Amino acid sequence: MSDEYNQKNTPIKAQSSETTSGSSGSSKDIDYVRPAELPEQDLYHGHSFITKWIFCQDAKVIGVQYFLTAVFTGIVGLVLSWLMRLQLGFPELVPFITAEHYYQFVTMHGMIMVVYFLTALFLGGFGNYLIPLMVGARDMVFPYVNMVSFWMFFIAVCVLMASFFVPGGPTGAGWTLYPPQAILPGTPGSNMGIILMLVSLSLFVIGFTMGGLNYIITILQARTRGMTLMRMPLTIWGIFTATALAMLAFPALLVSCIMMTLDKMLGTSFFMPTILQAGEVLSYGGGSPVLFQHLFWFFGHPEVYIVALPAFGIVSDLISVHARKNIFGYRMMVWAIVGIGALSFFVWAHHMYVSGMNPWFGFFFATTTLIIAVPTALKVYNWIITLFRANIRMNTVMLFCLGFIVTFVNGGITGIFLGNVAVDIPLSDTYFVIAHFHMVMGIAPLMVIMGAVYHWFPLVTGRMLSEKLGKWHFWFTFLGAYSIYFPMHYLGFIGVPRRYFEMYDSPYVTSATGMNEFITVAALIVGFSQLIFIYNIVTSLSIGKPAGKNPWKANSLEWLTPEVPPAHGNWGEKLPVIHRWPYDFNVPGAKEDYITQTTPPSEVISAEVEKT
Amino acid sequence: MNEIENKETVASTHKIGIYLWIWGLLFVLSFFSYMVDWFQFQGLLRWTLILIFMFLKAGLIMAFFMHLFWERYALVNVLLWPMTAIACFIGLMAAEAKYTVLTRLLYFFTGG
Amino acid sequence: MSDNSLNNLPGGFKGMSQDMGSDQTVFKGVQWGKVMMWIFLLSDTFIFSCFLISYMKGRTSTVVDWPNTSEVFSLHVNGVPVPLLLIAIMTFVLITSSGTMALAVKYGYEKNRKMCGWLILATAIGGLTFVGMQAFEWSKLIHEGVRPWENPFGAKQFGSFFFMITGFHGTHVSIGVIFLFIYSRKVFRGDFDKGKRGFFTSMKSDYVAIEILGLYWHFVDLVWVFIFAFFYLW
Repeated sequence: MSDEYNQKNTPIKAQSSETTSGSSGSSKDIDYVRPAELPEQDLYHGHSFITKWIFCQDAKVIGVQYFLTAVFTGIVGLVLSWLMRLQLGFPELVPFITAEHYYQFVTMHGMIMVVYFLTALFLGGFGNYLIPLMVGARDMVFPYVNMVSFWMFFIAVCVLMASFFVPGGPTGAGWTLYPPQAILPGTPGSNMGIILMLVSLSLFVIGFTMGGLNYIITILQARTRGMTLMRMPLTIWGIFTATALAMLAFPALLVSCIMMTLDKMLGTSFFMPTILQAGEVLSYGGGSPVLFQHLFWFFGHPEVYIVALPAFGIVSDLISVHARKNIFGYRMMVWAIVGIGALSFFVWAHHMYVSGMNPWFGFFFATTTLIIAVPTALKVYNWIITLFRANIRMNTVMLFCLGFIVTFVNGGITGIFLGNVAVDIPLSDTYFVIAHFHMVMGIAPLMVIMGAVYHWFPLVTGRMLSEKLGKWHFWFTFLGAYSIYFPMHYLGFIGVPRRYFEMYDSPYVTSATGMNEFITVAALIVGFSQLIFIYNIVTSLSIGKPAGKNPWKANSLEWLTPEVPPAHGNWGEKLPVIHRWPYDFNVPGAKEDYITQTTPPSEVISAEVEKT
Repeated sequence: MNEIENKETVASTHKIGIYLWIWGLLFVLSFFSYMVDWFQFQGLLRWTLILIFMFLKAGLIMAFFMHLFWERYALVNVLLWPMTAIACFIGLMAAEAKYTVLTRLLYFFTGG
Repeated sequence: MSDNSLNNLPGGFKGMSQDMGSDQTVFKGVQWGKVMMWIFLLSDTFIFSCFLISYMKGRTSTVVDWPNTSEVFSLHVNGVPVPLLLIAIMTFVLITSSGTMALAVKYGYEKNRKMCGWLILATAIGGLTFVGMQAFEWSKLIHEGVRPWENPFGAKQFGSFFFMITGFHGTHVSIGVIFLFIYSRKVFRGDFDKGKRGFFTSMKSDYVAIEILGLYWHFVDLVWVFIFAFFYLW
C-alpha cells in the first residue's frame, strides 16, 4: 500500500525537482518567503529590578505574573470548595460554616474559578507567554498597555479579596449575582460585599480589554514572515477566538455591573421590580430582573467558551506533539473553533429555561444549543482520530490530554441533556447541573492547564518537571475528580437541589448522605493531592533535569528561540521565517520524525510534507 | 469604488470637498430628523423616518469620517459581522420586553 | 517590496480572502494603533448597544407611561415651548466638531502642523460646548424633579436610563476632550514631525495618532446619533 502511495506521488515530485533544478538558484525559489512588511518593533528594555520583574513590559514576565496571581486566587477558590463540601458531607461538623457563610463560599468559589482563575490563566497567563513566541513576534504590540492590563487585574483581585474583610463579608448571591436578591437586605454581603464584587468585575473587564486588544492585534498584525493564519498552532487559534469573544462579551457584564451598582447605590430600578419587604413597599418599582439575566448570560455563555476554546487549542497541540502525528483535520479544527465562537453569542438563554422568560425562546435556544454541539463533536472526533494509530508517548502530558478528552466528552453529553428544554426543566438547579459544568468547564480545562504546565514548564524555566510525581498527580486528580463529579449526576437525578445549605430531614437525606460524605472525602483528597503538583514545581525549579533546547521535539516556534528560556525580544538578531504548519510529525521521507516550522523546503526535499 | 481606492489610498488623504459634502449632508439629515419631531409625525411613519435618518447619518460618519469606505474589506468585514450578535440580541429582547409587559398587564391589572 | 505596496493588491472580497490568507498582517497597511482603536470601538459599541437594549427592554416592559420626550426636553423661547431645541443644538455642535476633526486628520496626514493643531483645538472646544450644554440639560431636569430614582413625569426608568446613558456618553466626550487638548498641544509642539517618544509608553509619535484620536471622536458622534434617535426622538 505504501508503494502505491509513493508511485502516485513520484511524478509530481520529479516535476517539482526538475523545475527547481532548472532555474539557477534552486533552493532560493522554493524557499521564497515574502519580505517583511513592517519595520522591526521598537522595544523598551527594562534596566532595573522594578522594570524587569515588577512593572515589566515583557509579555513573558507578564504571563508568569498573570499565571501566579491566577493560581493564587484559584487556591483560595479551592479552599472555599472544601469548606462547602465539608458542610454538605458532614453538616454542622465545622461550627463556623453558617448558612450565610456557606452562600458566600458558593458565590466566591464560582466567581473566582470562572473569571479570576480560568479566564485570567488561559488568556492572561498562556496567552501572554505563548502568543508572541508562537506567532514569531518580539513582544506584544503594545507592551506598556499589556503591563497596565496585568496591574488592573491585580487590583481587581485585591478588591475581590478585600470583600472577605469588609463588614457583612463578601456577597452571597450565587456567582450569577441575580437581582433583586443580590442587593436586598437578608442576602449575605448585600452592602459592601456586592459593591466590591461589582467594582472588582468592572476593573477586571477594563484590565482585560487592554490585554485582549494586545492579544488580538499581535495575532492579526504582528506575525512573522511566512506565518499565515492557517499555519498558526491551534493554541493560538483557541486563544485568539476566546479573546475575540471576551472583547464582545465582557461589555454585557460591564453594563450589568454598572446598572446593578446604580440600583444598589442610587436606588434606580433597572432590575428591581416593586418589592414588599417585611410588610413595607420598597422604593423600587417597574424594573426587570430578567433583563439582568439576559445581560449576564449574554456575557456568561461566551465566557464558557472563553474558558473552553483555549483549552481546545492547547490540547490539540499537546496531543499532536506527544502522539507524534499531525492533528487530524487542522482546517476543520480551526473552523470549528471559529464556528463555536460565533455561535456562542446565540445560545445564552439556555441557562434561563426556568427564569420565566418568553416561553417561545426555548425553541430558539434549544436549537442553537444543539447546533453548537456539532463543531464541538467534530473536535472530539479529530482528537481521537489524531490518536488513532499514532506513536503515542504515555507521559504525564499525554495522560492529562486523555483525561481531558474523557471528562470533556462526559460533560459535553450531559450538556446535550440540559440543552433540551423538556429535559432541563426537571434537572435544572440540581446537582446534575453542578456535575455537568464542573466536568465540562472545570475539570476538563484544568486537565489541559496541568498538561500545559508539564509541557511548557521546560520552556519557561529550562528544567523538566518530575515525570514520576507527575503521574501520581495525574491519577490522584483524574480519579479523584471523577469520584467527586460522577456521583453528582446521580444526586441530580434523585432531585437533590443545588445551593442548599443543608438537607435536614428531607427524604433525600437517606439516599444522599453516604454519597455526599464520599464526595467530600474525595474532594479533600484531590485538593490535597495538588500539593504534589506544587511540590513538583517548586523542587523542579532548582533540581529538575535541565531541559535543553526543544525537549519534546516539537515543531512550533516557541521552542526554536536562540536562548532557552527565551530572552526579552525572543528572537535574538533575526526574526524567524516560517515555511510550514507546526504539525509535520513523522513525515514519510524525512530524516527525523519532526520538521520544525522554520525548516526550509530545500532541506526536506524528499519528504512528503503537507502543503500548508 | 476601485478607482477611488487606487487614487486615494496612495497619499492616504482625501480631497477636502468630500469632507465638506459629508459634513453638509450630516447637517441636512440631522435637520430632517429634528423635523420629524417638529411636525409630530406619529406611529409607523415616525419610527421609519427616525431609523432611516439614523442609519444614513451613522453610515456617512462611518464610511467617510472614519474612512471605512476606503479601508480594505478585511477590516470592514471584521468590524461589521459581530453586529449580527447585537441584531439577534435586539430582536430577542424586543420579544422578551413585549412578553414581560403582557404578563404584567395580565397578572397585575386584568387579573390572571 | 513591490508586492507589499497596497495599490497592487486586489480590492473587494477577492482582496479580503487574499489578505486573510497572507502572512504577517491581515489588515494590510493599517497601523497597530489604528487596529487597536477599531477593535476597542467595536467592544465599546457592544457596551452602548447593551445600554440601549436595556433601555428598550426597560421602556417597553414598564406599565407606567413613558414621558413625552419632546415636552420634557423642550426649551421656552419667548414663552413659547420649542421641542428638543437644546438637543438639536447639541447635535449640531457635535456634528460640527466631528467635521473639524475629520479635517484635522486630513491636514495631519498632509503634515500641515498649524492647520491640524487649530482644527483639533476647535474640535476640543466643540466637545467642551457639548459637555457644557449637557450639564445645563441635566441641571434643568434635576430642577424639574427628575432623579435617577424617580421621575415626576411618569416611569421611574426614564430618569435612570437618561442619566446613565447620557452620563456614560458624556464621560466618553469628556475623555475625548481631554485627549483633544493634549494632542493639540502635541501637534503645536511638533511631536509628530519629530517622532518624539511618548511620556508613558516611550514609543515614537506619528501623525497616525491623529487619525486614531479622530476615530474615537467620530465614534462618540456616532453613538450620539443613536442616542438622539432612540432616546430623544422615539
